[in-house]
Amino acid sequence: MSQTNEPQSAKRLNADLIVGIVSLGLAALVYFSTRELSKLGGLFVDYILVALTVLALITTVKGFIKPERVRFFESVVERNNVLAGICILLLYLIFLPLAGFLPASYAFYFCFNLYLADERFTTRNILVSVFLTAAVVTAFYFIFHHFLEVPLPQGRWFE
Amino acid sequence: MFDSALTGLFQVLMPHHMLVLFIGVFMGIVFGALPGLTATMGLALLVPFTFTMSPTAGLIMLAGIYVGAMYGDAIPAILINTPGTPAAIATTFDGFPLAQKGMAQHGLVAAAVASSFGSLVANIVLAAAAPPLAEVSLKFGPPEYFWLGIFGLTIISTLSSGNPIKGFLAGAIGMILSAVGMAELGGDIRLTFGFPELQGGIELIVALIGFFCLPEILSSVIGQRRTAYAEKMTKPSLNVLWQVISALFRRPALMLRSATIGTVIGFAPGAGGNIASMVSYNEACRWDKHPEEYGKGTIKGVAASEAANSAMAPGSLIPLLTLGIPGSPPAAVILGALMLHGMRPGAELFTDYADITFSFIMALLVAAFLVTLVGCFGSFVFSRIINIPSRYLAPAIVFMTVLGSYAIRNNMLDVWIMFIFGIIGYISNKLKFHPAPIVLGLILGPFVEEGLVQSMLAGKAAGSTFIYMVYRPISGVLIFLCLMSLLWPIFAALRAKHKQAGVDDTVTSGKREGRNESN
Repeated sequence: MSQTNEPQSAKRLNADLIVGIVSLGLAALVYFSTRELSKLGGLFVDYILVALTVLALITTVKGFIKPERVRFFESVVERNNVLAGICILLLYLIFLPLAGFLPASYAFYFCFNLYLADERFTTRNILVSVFLTAAVVTAFYFIFHHFLEVPLPQGRWFE
Repeated sequence: MFDSALTGLFQVLMPHHMLVLFIGVFMGIVFGALPGLTATMGLALLVPFTFTMSPTAGLIMLAGIYVGAMYGDAIPAILINTPGTPAAIATTFDGFPLAQKGMAQHGLVAAAVASSFGSLVANIVLAAAAPPLAEVSLKFGPPEYFWLGIFGLTIISTLSSGNPIKGFLAGAIGMILSAVGMAELGGDIRLTFGFPELQGGIELIVALIGFFCLPEILSSVIGQRRTAYAEKMTKPSLNVLWQVISALFRRPALMLRSATIGTVIGFAPGAGGNIASMVSYNEACRWDKHPEEYGKGTIKGVAASEAANSAMAPGSLIPLLTLGIPGSPPAAVILGALMLHGMRPGAELFTDYADITFSFIMALLVAAFLVTLVGCFGSFVFSRIINIPSRYLAPAIVFMTVLGSYAIRNNMLDVWIMFIFGIIGYISNKLKFHPAPIVLGLILGPFVEEGLVQSMLAGKAAGSTFIYMVYRPISGVLIFLCLMSLLWPIFAALRAKHKQAGVDDTVTSGKREGRNESN
């Protein structure tokens, strides 16, 4: 059982090397995207790019000489939970401009609430989730839409 | 002046004005506490309500909103690691660890008391010495802003004492992020990658929510399935009030230093509470006998940040009331409100409109006391929020982060940026690459850039950029402070090593003596 709970990422990652290489990649991206700036607009970016590249190089070298090793996920369960959580949020953000604020938010709040419950599909849990979803989402809708007059996403499907 | 101040105080203490002030403080706390809503937004939204009131009542209400918001932003910073406004970023460093230890009430009370103290000191300065200080504020030119920004960045050496290279690397990434959008000088569109919405840059609140709030939920609530948001339940009690209040008043130097830093940074137009709280936190950590306690949950860290950002509010009104230069975005809204009531900033505010002006100043002062009351007694309610099971709390927080990110510019791209920053924050936390310096770079980048580019232009015209940037009295002081701040961790480490060597020597010699005696 304990073996199945050990994810592949349980092997320790070289944090310095990852951070260093990603930062070097970022520096390269910024370098190639800012070559056509005017002198005034590019001055600060150029100075920071030099600092970023030097610091990223030092971190990369440290990754080879004296790396800081970390374990990313403690267990498979943790990894799956995080990925599921990210997926729920991702779906919400995708559907928000399509379905509109109220339908997308009701669905997200209900699903997320149910997902975090220990015993998911009991009648009590479902009723509590429905009640909370209706109360919280509707309350915030009224505050933001009617009181603060924030134009919330309407939803392309219902245009 | 004393008569006007006294008249102003009596005006504020009238029952209907007290009611208006209380409503303002309450609304301010709500606006400060909701991530995505800021003091500026609260003031701008409620200014129209003050049109129907007399100028005195209207300004009293605005004073309440401003002071309330400066405290309110500490509540989510302490409870859920999400600063209500960027000015509370340093409050998260110790506030959230306190909440995790079951000491959320300690943090909330410390924030309320320190906020009130900071506000009190700054108000006294505002009432007593506004005109001469306003002249000093005009001495802040581009080089001073550049060095002030650099001084703010030196906090990275304190935040990442374990690995300063990674800390400064994160700071550099933050500064690159701050360059996204239209350049202030030159007008170039930078790093927008075809998204026109990014021309206004990356919104600070969005970055704060992304880097601080989402990773915590992903890690503890979703990943580890913790049933409660905090590791330990908070049990509020009256004893905590006295403990925290007496602990803070036993540290007058910390409180006074933080309030002074906030006031001084406040009257430098444009500097704002973000820099004030970070500089103050850094200095508190540097001057403390136990710097190792910072970042792990100490009320001293919360007090340092909150006293400074609350002192910044009246401080920013010094150049506003005397010269008409708003020191911060909320001060700009107050300037608008003054003009709408037919009052023009300048000497006449303190002569022709002295009664109204001093009523406003006294309202800021009384609002500080109201914040203490609301904060201390409200802490019994607020601190219980994190005792709510995370299955009920987490969806509400995530929902609010999405709504808060969207509401700032009514823009879905901001929500996506928040989401991406949240994932990056989660990954970087796992890689021991803490995102706090990234946010620091993002906040301070514009100051440093503007100061640098303007100084280089002015320096070239003056003959030497170096001389223009360095040989100025305020710049000199700031450069000295930068060096002190950067070198302090090295000095502290050497001192600790020296102390440890001393302890080891004593232990060894003690053992030797023991052995000799037994022989």
